Amino acid sequence: MKSFVLKISLILFFLSKTTKGDVLFSSLPRSLFVVASAMEGQVLKAGEDDITVTFGLNQTLTNQTDGSYKKAKVKLCYAPVSQVDRKWRKTNDNLKKDKTCQFTIYNKPYERNVKGFKWNIEKDLPTATYFVRSYVYNDADEEIAYGQTTNGKKSDNLFKIQGISGRHVSIDIASVCFSVFALLSLFGFFFIEKRQSKVKS
Amino acid sequence: MPEIEGSPGSSMHGVTGRESVMAFSVASPMVHTDRTAKFALPVDSEHKATVFKLFSFANPHMRTFHLSWISFFTTFISTFAAAPLVPIIRDNLNLTKSDIGNAGVASVSGSIFSRLVMGAVCDLLGPRYGCAFLIMLSAPTVFCMSFVSDASGYIAVRFMIGFSLATFVSCQYWMSTMFNSKIIGLVNGTAAGWGNMGGGATQLLMPVLFEIIKKAGATPFTAWRIAFFIPGWFNVIMGILVLTLGQDLPDGNLGTLQKKGDVAKDKFSKVLWYAVTNYRTWIFVLLYGYSMGVELTIDNVIAEYFYDRFDLKLHLAGIIAACFGMANLLARPFGGFTSDYMAKRFGMRGRLWNLWLLQTAGGLFCLCLGLVDSLTLAITFMMLFSVGAQAACGATFGIIPFISRRSLGIISGMTGAGGNFGSGLTQLIFFANASFSTEKGLTYMGIMIMIVTIPVSFVHFPQWGSMFFPPSQDIVKGSEEHYYVSEWTDEEKQKGMHQASLKFAENSRSERGGKVASAPTPPQNTPNRV
Repeated sequence: MKSFVLKISLILFFLSKTTKGDVLFSSLPRSLFVVASAMEGQVLKAGEDDITVTFGLNQTLTNQTDGSYKKAKVKLCYAPVSQVDRKWRKTNDNLKKDKTCQFTIYNKPYERNVKGFKWNIEKDLPTATYFVRSYVYNDADEEIAYGQTTNGKKSDNLFKIQGISGRHVSIDIASVCFSVFALLSLFGFFFIEKRQSKVKS
Repeated sequence: MPEIEGSPGSSMHGVTGRESVMAFSVASPMVHTDRTAKFALPVDSEHKATVFKLFSFANPHMRTFHLSWISFFTTFISTFAAAPLVPIIRDNLNLTKSDIGNAGVASVSGSIFSRLVMGAVCDLLGPRYGCAFLIMLSAPTVFCMSFVSDASGYIAVRFMIGFSLATFVSCQYWMSTMFNSKIIGLVNGTAAGWGNMGGGATQLLMPVLFEIIKKAGATPFTAWRIAFFIPGWFNVIMGILVLTLGQDLPDGNLGTLQKKGDVAKDKFSKVLWYAVTNYRTWIFVLLYGYSMGVELTIDNVIAEYFYDRFDLKLHLAGIIAACFGMANLLARPFGGFTSDYMAKRFGMRGRLWNLWLLQTAGGLFCLCLGLVDSLTLAITFMMLFSVGAQAACGATFGIIPFISRRSLGIISGMTGAGGNFGSGLTQLIFFANASFSTEKGLTYMGIMIMIVTIPVSFVHFPQWGSMFFPPSQDIVKGSEEHYYVSEWTDEEKQKGMHQASLKFAENSRSERGGKVASAPTPPQNTPNRV
């Protein structure tokens, strides 16, 4: 009896949230499987390496219906270690406010099995530890199921991406040249004027 | 006479309350106009301008004004240039919230010291070289951003760039050599307010530059570095303009300035003593940390706040953040205006209440800013907060000239440094911590502003009273003369060194408010608005 009441109240709670339009991550079933080419602890380079992802409906689980799955997205998500002291990457159960997964690497209509699509790691990706997650959406563009390469605690099978530094030798040289110009102009003026005033007096 | 007319920090415009606050020219017959001098503006016997023509670039006076305030504006742009780009920089350099907060603290800390040193530099080299040296030497520090690759580099570079905020001192000093003391208050106040606007302008400028450079093909992590070249070049260009177009004195002679300064100086140790032993100095050092200080803090955090909390695009967050700093155009003079207005009826007590009201209102709106969830409300409260805080800055300098006559310069300088110190402290406590979200930080900062403003009620002038207490009824102790002349020893009084203070005391009688016998407008000086 007690567990029944609990289940009903939980269902009602989640229903109320979904009817409001706010999808909670904890309400989503993990009905997808996701496999990425990046292995545990591997360091990939932004702008050079790529990730190959295979994902789709997890056929090993029973009672899976994918009739309502209309769109699929695959996202690159921050692991907890890269979220420490960085509130702009915070995990929030309300998916509208969630900032865990900020990079979408695949966005297409749903197919039951997507084998090995390649994604070039773009140059604006920051240095951090990641995992891969996929969401499927219904007609109303709401998340209805997910899958990820890591476990529930997000502690397993994480990989690193090394971002570009953004520095270039040409910028460094320009910076040095401009600085030298500034210093030379300043001291040049100063000594020329000193000499001129000596000449005058 | 130890006091040099028009020496920095000695201006007393608005003292009698009889002069119109927005005076653009000296009307008093007591200022002798030198008609033999051939300048574009009418000048006095020292060839300082007696008229302030805002839209003129005439050499040397108005040209100096524009070179001066634009240099100060440029250093504000450079110091706060990183702030609106933090959402990009934090990903490039893998910064944590603590790193970002510490960099903000560093950016305002450097100038605590450089502002104190700058006065001496101007004495030694003249304001033209003082300004040019600072702005040209800080240009390489701005260019250094291109080398930064981690948090420690970022913090170090922001610290070094922050030293350039001392151009404020050279700016005010330079105006004092060019403008008659009767209008110096307005001139300095305008220059300070317009310079501060740089903190707002940069929030607009940097995201726009970033977007343009990205569109030209650079990746984000390279684009922000290239964007920093523009403030760096502003520094260099202004430095060159100051060197080529500027001159120290109306007559252009640097050597004469140094000689004059040496002859008519008061003893530094004495001036410092009277500044430091006056409790009111410290109350205002604290208070300015929570009007000017919070303004600098907001310059550092507000763009990032709007970007993160309301999911705005970078340049949109920048536009909103810019509005905060740009309000300085009018808000700061407004505070000075209300201070003078209140003084007409209620004297010094009116000024103190005015300051308390403005600064507390600013704190209240800051508190609200942190609490609201909607973008419209956030912008509204931010603007109300900006007016409160910036008007409080203006109001502060409506009172500071009355704390001491002898040590006005040092007290102004200490108050200015206090502003930076308050900013550093606030950023350290509320915005460099993982434990507070930025919105909580804003709310707590608002509460702190309101608490810190309470000490203004302890500021008591025996001759004028305080917020809650009337002036002393004692005939001797309740006189302005007693207060201002007490800063001189009997020995000094015998030498006649206290004459300027006596004159000042006589003219400050208007701070009693109400219907006061009109005092003749003295050849005095105007508040050095910081």
